[in-house]
Amino acid sequence: MIWKTIKVGFHRLGSPPTFYRLCRNLSPWLWASFGLCAVIGLYYALYVVPPDYQQGDSYRILFIHVPAAWQAMAGYVVMAILAFIALVWRIRTTEIMAMMCAPVGAAFTLICLATGSLWGRPMWGTWWAWDARLTSMLVLLFIYLGIMGLYAAFEDRRKGARIACILVLVGLVNIPIIHFSVEWWTTLHQGATIRFFGESSMHPSMLPPLVWMTIAVKFMFAAVLLDRSGNELLEQDRRKGWVRGQVGDFT
Amino acid sequence: MIPELDYAFYVWSSYGIFAIVIAWQVIQPIARRRRIVAELREEMALREGEYNDPHP
Repeated sequence: MIWKTIKVGFHRLGSPPTFYRLCRNLSPWLWASFGLCAVIGLYYALYVVPPDYQQGDSYRILFIHVPAAWQAMAGYVVMAILAFIALVWRIRTTEIMAMMCAPVGAAFTLICLATGSLWGRPMWGTWWAWDARLTSMLVLLFIYLGIMGLYAAFEDRRKGARIACILVLVGLVNIPIIHFSVEWWTTLHQGATIRFFGESSMHPSMLPPLVWMTIAVKFMFAAVLLDRSGNELLEQDRRKGWVRGQVGDFT
Repeated sequence: MIPELDYAFYVWSSYGIFAIVIAWQVIQPIARRRRIVAELREEMALREGEYNDPHP
């Protein structure tokens, strides 16, 4: 019974009008959740947590750098799952969502690289080093940009999406490379200080802002993804009845 | 009480970049949606013969 309900719900999401309504209705709540979590996270990050005994206040960059890096990678995994579903079951709304993950993921990768560079200058004495972690993260940005470019290069959006979905699955190999780069190679970038399984070397007082900001960027990713997916669906279906029927309702 | 947040240039620059990219992620979809809706309204008005061209 529950399985059947989930299946029916999943199939309904494949319907463009239902999916569009979901995007429109869910997005404000996700944005509000992002705002709330971000305010709490920033309050902790900039005001509550003490300075680091070695890095002083420079380490506060961590509270945006690390959540952005995690989201850049998590966003790619989400995109790969959606791309796999799109390729196997040919669900158009999933195709659109997979493609709309790319610009959001690229934005987080950009934040991660830029803030990492700004943090590297006072700590390492250089803006950039061709070390394994930094280079693999740069490769992730290029993969995101490549997916966006490939999708945009085709006049037939569905064809472009299918080809770009294959690139998404190929590019997935870069995610474990990023994650394990600090273990496989000798890098300037530090190893993992926060472990989900095992003891973290980070002081517990520094964890609350990190957790709040991580949750905040997850809400933001979801919100932007739904906003962009809704727009893309509207653009693609502009000649269809369900869009024309709603023109009067647009605000 | 106003907190003294006299952090270095690197810290504020990082938070500034974060804010700019987030703002772009908010503004871009809103702007795109407005453009699509405006185009749809224009197309519908043209179809129904109600369109008044501002530059005849």
